[in-house]
Amino acid sequence: MIAAGESGAVTPELPATPTDGGGPHAASAALDPFAEHRARRPSRFLYALNPLAKLAAPLPVMVIVMFSRGIALPLAFVVFAAAVLLIGARLSGRAVAALLIGTPVAALVLGVTFGVWIDPSSVAGHPAASVTLVSIGGWDFTLAAYLVGFATGLRILAILLLSLIAGVTSTGPEFVRSMVQNLRVPYRLGYTALAALRFVPRFGHELEIIRAAHRVRGTDIGRGPVAAVQRALGYIVPLLASAIRHAERVALAMDARAFGAHRTRTERHFSPWRLRDTVFVACFLAASIVIAWLTWGR
Amino acid sequence: MPSAPLLDLDRVSIRHEGAELATPVDVSFEVARGEVVLILGPSGCGKSTLTLALDGLVPHAVPAALEGTVRVAGLDTSEHPVGVLSEHVAMVFQDPDAQIVTGTVLDEVCFAPENQLVEASEVLERAERALKLVGLWDRRAENPDTLSGGGRQRLAVACALAMAAPVLVLDEPTANLDPAGIDEVYAVLRELASERDHAVVLVEHNLDAAVDLVDRVIVLDAGGRLVIDGPAREVLRERADELVALGVWLPVSTLAAMRLRDAGVVLDPLPLTPSELAAALDALPSLPAPLSDSSPVRSTALSPRPTLATGLATGATGAIAVIGETAIAISPATGAIAVIGETAIAISPATGAIAVIGETAIRARDLSVRRGGRRGPIVVEGVDLDVTAGDFLAIVGTNGAGKTSLLQALAGVIPAPRGTVDVLGVDPARCPSRERAQRIGFVFQNPEHQFIAPTVAEELAQGLRLQGVSEADAAPRVEAMLHRFGLEALRDQHPFLLSGGQKRRLSVGTALIAGAPVLALDEPTFGQDRARASELLDMLRGLNDDGTTVLVVTHDLQLVADYASHIAVMDSGRLLGIGPTAEVLAGPLVEQAGLRHPPLARATRGLERHPAWHSITRMSQLPVSSKGAS
Repeated sequence: MIAAGESGAVTPELPATPTDGGGPHAASAALDPFAEHRARRPSRFLYALNPLAKLAAPLPVMVIVMFSRGIALPLAFVVFAAAVLLIGARLSGRAVAALLIGTPVAALVLGVTFGVWIDPSSVAGHPAASVTLVSIGGWDFTLAAYLVGFATGLRILAILLLSLIAGVTSTGPEFVRSMVQNLRVPYRLGYTALAALRFVPRFGHELEIIRAAHRVRGTDIGRGPVAAVQRALGYIVPLLASAIRHAERVALAMDARAFGAHRTRTERHFSPWRLRDTVFVACFLAASIVIAWLTWGR
Repeated sequence: MPSAPLLDLDRVSIRHEGAELATPVDVSFEVARGEVVLILGPSGCGKSTLTLALDGLVPHAVPAALEGTVRVAGLDTSEHPVGVLSEHVAMVFQDPDAQIVTGTVLDEVCFAPENQLVEASEVLERAERALKLVGLWDRRAENPDTLSGGGRQRLAVACALAMAAPVLVLDEPTANLDPAGIDEVYAVLRELASERDHAVVLVEHNLDAAVDLVDRVIVLDAGGRLVIDGPAREVLRERADELVALGVWLPVSTLAAMRLRDAGVVLDPLPLTPSELAAALDALPSLPAPLSDSSPVRSTALSPRPTLATGLATGATGAIAVIGETAIAISPATGAIAVIGETAIAISPATGAIAVIGETAIRARDLSVRRGGRRGPIVVEGVDLDVTAGDFLAIVGTNGAGKTSLLQALAGVIPAPRGTVDVLGVDPARCPSRERAQRIGFVFQNPEHQFIAPTVAEELAQGLRLQGVSEADAAPRVEAMLHRFGLEALRDQHPFLLSGGQKRRLSVGTALIAGAPVLALDEPTFGQDRARASELLDMLRGLNDDGTTVLVVTHDLQLVADYASHIAVMDSGRLLGIGPTAEVLAGPLVEQAGLRHPPLARATRGLERHPAWHSITRMSQLPVSSKGAS
């Protein structure tokens, strides 16, 4: 999926220099607030990678985890992903604590919540089916059911942690930049999507005001689902009216600032696909294959 | 074409899709480098539309038909796309929030030059220069959301400057800002104007801020035709009466001088700024005594037609107000008799609800409000407040001072701690909405947010249905409300299709229909021009004259000075003080809260020869001609 290859696709006006903050405008690096941030990056290797590499490497692994059975494989990938995050990302103390303590606790709890939904007959052949943990009336919660639930919980956690490798160490603009530069996604699409992201909190705030305004009008008297649906329908017209008006204004302001006037736009930050990205993806996948090989079906 | 003017409009008419008439019509003018041009005109004359034509958004991005030609640096705008024209014209719009597209201040400024394929090193140079000029360079790494309204609008100016276009077009850049933000933006514009590097085209209704930096004025009439094009000071001074007749707003100092002229105090030339007014007044050996605050003459002080204001009052629908024991005044209210004294009772004509004038309508004790639940930040802290029935209270303060939160807590829109708020005997956040609606009506900043019915009449009837009024009883009351707010012809219209002023009137009508004797309004003049703002405040004054207690949150201190009977000053969540308008404006609270005195007060405070005039803060205190006072 990384079609653009090693050199990356960069705006024709600017040479595709494999630079990371210095390079074509070393003088301006001092002006760039992101430059300091970048200069610190090599201390943790994940920040030095292309966001697409961080997304591309874990993606096939997520598929493997999704179709795996048993506890060993997802457990191994939870540990692997957590290790990559701890080594590769600069995490706050709270994040480290959440990773080291929260993950096992979540796995144990998810084991119960998923386990109670397991059909006992489907795990009847399991050796642990005879071990009953809790018995309420005629219903037994067996160790087998718990283990199946635990495995499901681990699979979800493994996928979550694998996606955090890209999520924690790159920002929305970085993703858009690397997609525009490496995958030739049209910049008009990418940057419009980024601008649209700014709408989300605005609409949340707007909805809050509209709800308060409707409460004042006395629309909160009805109870039950019918009244709730009616109320929600009442929010749509004012919300849409203000959303459309706002979007029109933003579009005019973007037009006035030459957005979309040319086929490309100047990039101040480069997001090239480098050798280290290929190495990272290769190593990550190799390690994952070994782990999967050792743990599959156990 | 080195001799070509930067902007050249030749017989330009613009008709919006679906509109019957074109506004503006047949407008021709040229703008050269170094000029600062102010475009004036009454609401709806097409000023904003005209600015959109200056960089090709009309006709390329806005569905509107353009006749005539607009040339930007010699390029015909109808033949060149907006992207090309943007290298010559940069725009700043009214709403700062609708201009921000990226996540940091620096990225935002770089956005336009990046789109124009300017080289990266030059992009950063331009960004640095622009951000330093507007004073945001140190905050370049921040998210624009963390800036104040004034800060975000300065950012928008920086974004326009970074485009390195010789023409800068600003469409009401301060309409959505508080006084501090307006000052910030104008400090930047003043610096730009003094550099004479750009041609600046400005649409602005707040002439008090703009008047000292513009050097040319272009005036459109209500039909969108160009009627005046000339040097700013001469036009504003010598053709002031003509401008007033056109419905154009003038600086407060000029309006004050025109009112004085009617009273026989001639200031020539007409002053345009508070300091000019002060100097002109000090040059006169003597002045008539100012009218006292309790004067029965209540002219519509900021009406665009000062010479007609008092005449209008006498000719209006004829309510009789007896103030104190002897004075009788005829107010332009709508058919109510208000006897205002110690024990008198005001009868609200629409519903017959009774509030005893002089008694406490709203009482707050140690009121604190948190936003967003128990853990949220405290936005209002320890407020003690009494509002007497019949007051017109304005809550003022800078952005983020907690004005809106206080008003919402008083009206029960957001919950206040139990027992801290009492509105006519109930806790508004805990009583049934039916009982609350009988006591206090709340009008949100954007009236559209409150509309819940498909027609205007239904919108009004909804409030009565909530009260359990039968359809038969409701009909005449809806009818009376439609009549009262001039909406009879629009009864079957969808509320969203009304004009801005009509929406506002309808939202006030819905707040009052259940018979509430107290009306609370959140920033009712936000984003409106002065004509609309004063139309609304005249309506509120009419309601107040009929006995309705009115609470408004606003940051327009001249409107406050002219309309409110009391002022509450807020700063960082605390109530600095509350008192009669004249007392508060004469004291130090306004400055303590980081606000600026209204223009008229600024002019009169420093008078050396006329100490008796120091207390003048509102137009109605200025002496009037003998025929107006009769």
